[in-house]
Order: sequence, then structure tokens, then C-alpha cells
Amino acid sequence: MAKAERFVEADNAEAIITRIEHKSRKIESLLKQYKPVEALKTALEGTYAMTGDERCKSAHWIVVHRAIMAIKDVDGMLSSLDPEYYDILMKYLYRGLATGDRPTCDQCLRIHEKLTEKAGLGCILRFLTDTVNTV
Amino acid sequence: MAVTAVHQLAQCITCHAWSADRSMVALCPNNSEVHIYRLVEDKWEKVHVLQKHDQIISGIDWGARSNKIVTASHDRNSYVWNLERSEWVPTLVILRLNRAALCVQWSPKENKFAVGSGAKTVCICYYEQENNWWVSKLIRKRHDSSVTSVSWHPDNILVASTSTDGKCRIFSTFIKGVDARDPKKESRFGELIVQLDLSSSWTFGVKWSPSGNTLAYVGHNSVIYFVDDVGPSPLAQNVVFRDLPLRDVLFVSEKMVIGVGYDCIPMVFAADERGIWSFIRYLGERKAVSSGSRYGSQFSEAFGKFYGQAKLGVSNDAVETSRTRGVVHENCINSIIPLSRQGTQIRRFSTSGLDGKIVMWDLETEQDLLELLVH
Repeated sequence: MAKAERFVEADNAEAIITRIEHKSRKIESLLKQYKPVEALKTALEGTYAMTGDERCKSAHWIVVHRAIMAIKDVDGMLSSLDPEYYDILMKYLYRGLATGDRPTCDQCLRIHEKLTEKAGLGCILRFLTDTVNTV
Repeated sequence: MAVTAVHQLAQCITCHAWSADRSMVALCPNNSEVHIYRLVEDKWEKVHVLQKHDQIISGIDWGARSNKIVTASHDRNSYVWNLERSEWVPTLVILRLNRAALCVQWSPKENKFAVGSGAKTVCICYYEQENNWWVSKLIRKRHDSSVTSVSWHPDNILVASTSTDGKCRIFSTFIKGVDARDPKKESRFGELIVQLDLSSSWTFGVKWSPSGNTLAYVGHNSVIYFVDDVGPSPLAQNVVFRDLPLRDVLFVSEKMVIGVGYDCIPMVFAADERGIWSFIRYLGERKAVSSGSRYGSQFSEAFGKFYGQAKLGVSNDAVETSRTRGVVHENCINSIIPLSRQGTQIRRFSTSGLDGKIVMWDLETEQDLLELLVH
């Protein structure tokens, strides 16, 4: 796995934010079609390409947060989600739990329980030890 | 069952090593002594106590050919013990360290040994005949943090080390006068051959495969790293697994690795025909465990409280205690040592852990694993 790029030039950040806005529109349309699982997958995709500064990360978090809050069937969502996304989802769940906002925390906690059952404690450990790729 | 024997020899064991004929085991019971036990008619008898170190002993290795024991301790010293008549006589090795020694291993020819330390250095010690003492040469550069484990390549010259800075490094330890010069592999002492930066968390337990072609080490982020064709263009693979991190690994063959760690049960990893490594199963049970019964009673209480808020008081009874899983070790397994070899394969090995047990394992009873071993 290549080391994540630490420095993002100003214009690169703009490009990333444009991509995120693009994704956001796609997710809104998927949610309108009652496809929350697809929306979450789209939100989580390509996150490692989303490196960079706080602005990019916050923008990305807003998009992922929207998708997470729209999930009603957690079991169904997890069974159709690719295992490679477990680690990144876990990182976003902890970001959600850190917000302290009641509905967000409730939803994140609900998903966290099922995700831990599915992905194991190793998933939580990978979130704890990864100081390079933070979300 | 793969377990052939369980011996409770202390309250907590930091490290252990077997004699060449496997009749005696040297272990450190979490203090500054080395206890040597001999198996006498089915009972373990403490035959020697080696007292010289001032602090906890972090590594023991018993040379199979030379019958010398080398110990490394947090007191920054290392001793080489020789059996003279029936007494173990220590020889101090001045490592010139200013931090604890964390791990030690004899080289394959047993003319050198490597010590990893908290002083961000690896010491390579060799015997100088004229002065009748062990000299230590330090590999000072490159490490950014403590060296947690060292492992010798079968060629007696390359040493791999893992560190808490997340990297695994391979150095040459060529020493003039001790090693034969190889025109194909010209290298200076302390030269960094390869640096593997695969993990973002502490790394432990590096080992070479029997041929020296593959390297395996574990990260504290519950990932095990396999590196094939170690050299200028290595092929690295990460195998992510579910559970708590590993601490040590052992190559039982060129294509199979056993990992041990905080989960108290050895895990088996194997490479298929394409060379892709993956997790096969645990050594403790055959069936895949259903997701609900993963956690012990401590976890279920903690998780219950954690999830109780969201579930508004609904009891979480999907968890069972870990006792039902038939675990042998009750605490973290620290090290795994081979017991017997058949050619380049290892069928029997022993593990020791923080629960003070030494458990002997035999793969003969595991049919599915034997089939994988044969290929």
C-alpha cells in the first residue's frame, strides 16, 4: 500500500472539493430513489484518493454523514457492502460518534454494533492505530 | 486436537527456549531469573536457576549446536551461558546500550547473535577468540524507535528487524574474520538492504521462511504482512484479519505461517498456488465461530453498556463467554518456538504466554493443514 500523500496543493484541494460535490449530487439522487445502500457505497468509494486538508475531510464527512443517516436496514446494508469498505466505514462511524449530536450518535452506535460483529475487533484496532489515513 | 500438552510452569512467562534435544526448557517467569526445567518421568523439575540479571529478561535463545544460552534483559545487558560440568556459567556481553534489550536470537551458525533494543539499535555480537570475550557491534542508524524483534536469514549475514516506528528493515551483518566473503553479495556491516514501510502501527514478530525468500511480520493494527522475493523489488501483501493483533509468527513451511497473539489461539495463514496469502483458520477449533459468541464475559458487559443506550434497555444476549470456545491459553501468547523439523517443515511447536503456560502443539492431527503443508 502506498504511503498517503501528505501535502495537497491549493488547486488540488479545489479539484477534490469539486469531486465531492459531484458525489454529493449522485448520492442525493440515489437517496431519492430509495437506494440508501448504494448511496453509502458511493460515499465511501475512493476515499483514499480524498487526501488533503481539513476542508476536504469535512466536505467528505458531510457527504458520508448524509448517507449514513439515511440507512434504515443496517443488516442488509452490511451484508451487501464489500469487506474492503469495513475499515473506512468504521473510521467514519467514530467520527460520527465524536460529534456528540444525538441522532448521529444513535445511528452510528447502531451500525457500530453490527459492524463489529461482522468485521471483528481488528477493524476497531485498525481505526485506532492508523494515524496516517485519518478521516 | 492440535494441543498435545499444557504445562503451567509459572504465573507469567515472558519468553522461553528449548534445548537441542527438547528435554529441557529455559524460561523467564516474569522476573530477573531464568528457570530451566527438565521433564523427568512426566513431571517438570526445576533443575537450574540462572541469576545474574537485575531486571526482567526479555529474550532467551538456546543454541542447538553450541548448547549455549543467550539472555537479554531490560538491565541493558546480555549474558552468554555455558554449561560447564553441571553448572551454567555466565559471560557478560557488554552491549554498550543505554536502554533495555528487548529481543535476542542466535544466528543460524551460532557464531553471532543479534539483540534488538529500546535504544533504537540492533547489536550484533560475535566471539573474539584471542580475548575470550563477546564483542558487540552496533547498527545505530536508521531505526526511529525501539527494535521489537530480530530474525536471522538462513545465510547467517542478513538480519531483519521490526520496530515500533512501523517499519521492517533488513541489514547486512557481514563481519570480517567471522563471515566468509561472498563475491556475489558484497556488503558492509550495518548496510541497510531493504526498508519495508507497510504498516502505520508498531510492528512485531518478524521471521524468515526456511529458504529465506519470504518474510512475515505483524503489525499492531491486526494486519500481518508477507513479503516475497525480498530484495530490490519485493512483493508485499497485507492480510487483514478480524481479531486482536498478533505478537509473533512462525513459518512451519515455505507456504504456511502460524501467528500467535492477543487472541490466545494460534491462527494459521497459508499461501495458495498463486502465492496469495490468506487466513485459513484457528488452531483451537475447526468450525467458523458464529459472530455472536466472539466475546468473553468482560466484553459482553462493556458492549452491553455501550449499546444499551441506543437499544433503550434491550438486553444484548447474543454474546457468550469465551470459555465455550475451548481456549487453551488464557492470556496473550508471547512467543512461538519450533519443536521438531521434518526437512524444512515444522510439525510441532510450543507457545508461551502471559498466563504462565507452555503449550505444545502438533499439526499431525490437523488433516486439512497437513494437506496444505505438503504442497
